[in-house]
Amino acid sequence: MKKLNRRDFMKLTAGSGCALAAGLGSSQSAFAGSLKLQAGGKDFSPATGKERQAIPTACWQCVTRDSMIGYVEDGRLVKLEGHPDSIRTLGKLCAKGQAGINQVYFPDRILHPMKRVGKRGEHKWKRVSWDEALDLIVSKLKPLRDAGTPELFMYQYGRHKASQAATMYDFMQAYGTGTIGNHTSVCEAAKWVGQESLWGGMYDNWDYDNTDYVVIFGSNQFETHTNHIPTSQRLIRAKVDRGVPLYVFDVRLTNTAAKADQWVPIKVGHDGLVMLAMCNVIMNEKLYRKDHFKFMRVTADYKASVADKITAVTNNVAKYTPEFAEKHSGVPADTIRNIARGFAKAKSACLVTYRGTVMHYHGADQERAAMLLSAITNNLDRPGGRVMGVGAGWKSPSSPRAKVHKTLHVKDGFPGEAAYPTHHVSHQVLPLIKDGHAGRPKVYWWSCYNPGFINGDNKELQAIMQDESIIPFLISTTIVYDESSQYADLILPDVTYLERWDWEDMVSANQIAEFYIRQPLVKPLGESRCQGDVWPELAKRMGFELAYSSKEDFVRQSCEMTPGVREAGGFEYMKKHGVWHDPDAKPNYGFYETKVDISGDGVILDDKTGVYWNWKKAGVDSQAQAKSQGYLNTKGAKKAYIAQNIDGTAYLAYPPNTKFVKAGYLDFYSDNFANKGLPAFPTYTPIPEHQKMADDELNLTTYKVAVHTHSRTAHCKWLTEIKHDNPGWINTKTAAARGIKNGDKIKVYNDMGEITTTAYVTEGIIPGVIAISHHLGRKHSGVYGSGQTSPTSGGAAADPDVKNIWWKKHGTHPNTIIPNASDPISGTQRWMDTVVRVAKV
Amino acid sequence: MSDNKTPDINRRKFLSGVSAAAAGTAALATPRVSLEAAQSKAPRWVMVMDLRRCIGCRACTVACKSENNVSLGRFRAVIQEKTMGSFPNTKKAFLPLMCNHCEGNEKDGVPPCVKACPEFPGKRAKFKTADGKTIRYRTGATYKRPDGMILIDKEKCIGCGKCIDACPYGVRSFDPFVKAGGDPSKQAADKCDLCAHRVDNGVEPSCVNTCQGRARIFGDLNDPNSEVSKLVKAHNLAKADNVLLADEGTNPHVFYIDPDNILKSLYTKRKKGKLDHFVDQIP
Repeated sequence: MKKLNRRDFMKLTAGSGCALAAGLGSSQSAFAGSLKLQAGGKDFSPATGKERQAIPTACWQCVTRDSMIGYVEDGRLVKLEGHPDSIRTLGKLCAKGQAGINQVYFPDRILHPMKRVGKRGEHKWKRVSWDEALDLIVSKLKPLRDAGTPELFMYQYGRHKASQAATMYDFMQAYGTGTIGNHTSVCEAAKWVGQESLWGGMYDNWDYDNTDYVVIFGSNQFETHTNHIPTSQRLIRAKVDRGVPLYVFDVRLTNTAAKADQWVPIKVGHDGLVMLAMCNVIMNEKLYRKDHFKFMRVTADYKASVADKITAVTNNVAKYTPEFAEKHSGVPADTIRNIARGFAKAKSACLVTYRGTVMHYHGADQERAAMLLSAITNNLDRPGGRVMGVGAGWKSPSSPRAKVHKTLHVKDGFPGEAAYPTHHVSHQVLPLIKDGHAGRPKVYWWSCYNPGFINGDNKELQAIMQDESIIPFLISTTIVYDESSQYADLILPDVTYLERWDWEDMVSANQIAEFYIRQPLVKPLGESRCQGDVWPELAKRMGFELAYSSKEDFVRQSCEMTPGVREAGGFEYMKKHGVWHDPDAKPNYGFYETKVDISGDGVILDDKTGVYWNWKKAGVDSQAQAKSQGYLNTKGAKKAYIAQNIDGTAYLAYPPNTKFVKAGYLDFYSDNFANKGLPAFPTYTPIPEHQKMADDELNLTTYKVAVHTHSRTAHCKWLTEIKHDNPGWINTKTAAARGIKNGDKIKVYNDMGEITTTAYVTEGIIPGVIAISHHLGRKHSGVYGSGQTSPTSGGAAADPDVKNIWWKKHGTHPNTIIPNASDPISGTQRWMDTVVRVAKV
Repeated sequence: MSDNKTPDINRRKFLSGVSAAAAGTAALATPRVSLEAAQSKAPRWVMVMDLRRCIGCRACTVACKSENNVSLGRFRAVIQEKTMGSFPNTKKAFLPLMCNHCEGNEKDGVPPCVKACPEFPGKRAKFKTADGKTIRYRTGATYKRPDGMILIDKEKCIGCGKCIDACPYGVRSFDPFVKAGGDPSKQAADKCDLCAHRVDNGVEPSCVNTCQGRARIFGDLNDPNSEVSKLVKAHNLAKADNVLLADEGTNPHVFYIDPDNILKSLYTKRKKGKLDHFVDQIP
């Protein structure tokens, strides 16, 4: 392969590249093997041989948001592929990304604003103009704002990132509502909360390009991940090219486990315990590395010596012997020992966790165990280890803030439900609104979100939406008629991500930030409109102005404001090239070792914690007062954190940056946790429901496959063709005990209700579990997703492929029998703790 | 790796002249042979599938659908997967399948699909190499180009389905979107064409482009310096163990790097008259 200079790719597509004799048909010339093929960056019509127009943009099928190239032929988007110049994706795109075209052209797409004319849920709609729709919205929102109750307008999103989020938050700030919900608690909030309690920030990356050893718990990186394409290709390359050992702990034989040196089956909810047992082996056998201990806090004492800390960690994990862990987790003690030794002895090692580890009771504490294992082996933010993710830092315009700015407290769960819901408790938003004690919004608007499908107890959430007495006015911005928009009072036709502008910022796998944009590949179909274009229009109609006139304008201004991007050529450069990174940037490791200047005005040393902080920045009246109340007792002090004094050196260390008030240490001993009656040090806490299971009960777990996101791909025909049914995975022995054979119809039930599916009897799952993927069982998702056409007046040009649909099954939805229950630490939805029975139908 | 011929090499050492009319063609199966027969400058496009690197992600399956607007109900490329062994020592493996772009049997060098095509041999055609040489060959509705690609001319296709039946791998199907030019009452046959429209323009096939594991390696076996030539040599791929259905004598040109013997344990063959082995499904 000729190694194309990455930066040269767009030049090639502009036509100056290799002029090759080409074309279809038998008599035309090809070329000899002396010429090398290029990997991508160009595409041609199979029918005519004509070169297709190439436009750089970015994916949005999942949160990975790969930069990519869209190919357009005669005004129609026909192909997507990875952007060859991207340092994140290295020119690759996954199955979902490849099927992005289906998002634009699926036959049931909503293309016009629609107003409800029947009762909620009667599926009766009237097409209205955008003018009418916006007037209707203003008639609801303006009176709330004028009355000084802007918080009674609630907005909730499923996926808003980068400029899609920035434009929305900007509008909401200018309007005055802080009642903005998200969806993170159903994703992985516990993981972030566990991390924030330690290294202050969140989003770990794993340095696969440099690592020597990889251990994965509860993460199926080869099929699906929040940073799938950048990380998974590097992992398989590390494995095959460099022989890096890979061990995967999972209840299920995932594709990731299938490619590992060893699949280590583990009982549901015991990842943290096995990690603590690995710590036990490493401490007892003195395989730890001392390097990171000086940045760790492992007892209440802020001034403990490294030797004291080593003793304390050894004592704290003493009870988690491999034998103890084997008894509860089902993982053989020798396997734990071997992997612990390999992990500790490797020059560098990655400890990976995800939903399987954290979507549990005390899930956040499981993540703390993962951080502990990484820290004692000196694999935190070091080359080849678990590192802090690096993404692009964009600057963007911001509009004047509303005079009245208020929030309805329906975002963080019921009182006492979660100690640190720093990423909110999104699955409880609708139940809390129904409850009413924290107030109810008058207008609830959701976008790129399907609360009636993606949360636990989803039928109940649908019932809340259907009840007009609970929330009087519902607005849904969506491209597809789904389980939630069926109850809306007004449906707004969203653009797909392939028809809109954005700047993007997802984390790089190589610790160098990549700046990239999304731009429209085709004109928005029908009357679909980007939310970022709706905000300025709505503001104008309500009598205030935003700092941008359209999403494109917002992106343009951001490109001209952002250092680096601006000098590279700003908006015009980004439109042409799609991606930019600083060519002189070095991979970002070891931020905690940065030495900090403490000479600034107002900087003092806190005696108790050893934190240097700026009392002036913290808003304290005098230095004397600051000294007397101390860093930890000063509200707002964490904003004034400067450095941590460690053995006389001022290190940046691990600054606090969320709701956790902490010093600059990795808080493995956490006062924040201790004060709320939570384990101060990473601890094995059995899942309450699992302790009282009857013999015939099973754990229900859910998962994703390679070709679907949770709720936004069922209408993508090329994906649903590959995965349209979701049988329950059940171990041969577990099935036999119930008289279940492969392919039998089964029911899965508990107090919540019952679902039916077929049994996939396999040796690829641990006994005692039934696993059902969670993206199917759609009641409404267009003809490809649900088997029935949507009751919409819009509809794209009929897809001739509809007549070729051959599958009759549309799967089942496990969320129906999973309650909305939160991790008491983080407020994360406990997807993996549900107990069920399974029987042959 | 040594240059020694593998036990199977003679079976493959035949003239690959597509038909009697082909002059000077020698697109042969192994690097060693191609070096000896260097009089032709035509490439011999092949695919190497490195099964160590396939993670079963299906990006190739979907990329192919999109690139070639493949209708629902059929595929040009699929992954077969299978779970094997007993808990807890269970294994799962993946096997990417596509048209093997066969060289054809020893006697006539004509693959079974081409042989079955009533429109073959059709008109004579010229293949121009990059250095200006001309190689003549015979076309058909299904035919083999001197660079090894097995192609379908849908204008000439009469929709008889004989090639679909004849392919032992079952990778062909009727395209409901395209009428057979030779009999518009029928649909044309369709299958992987190695993205000829991309390759002819200097770009790798779409499935190769998107393969994140880099399990798919495409290139010219007639170029001893190409990655595929090096892989075929290094992993000794030009033998029956590393291709599908070697016994059929089709001389397939998709080679598998397969240290775990996945071909033997996993491959689900087509059942006679059926194509359901070639539908990509995730259990």
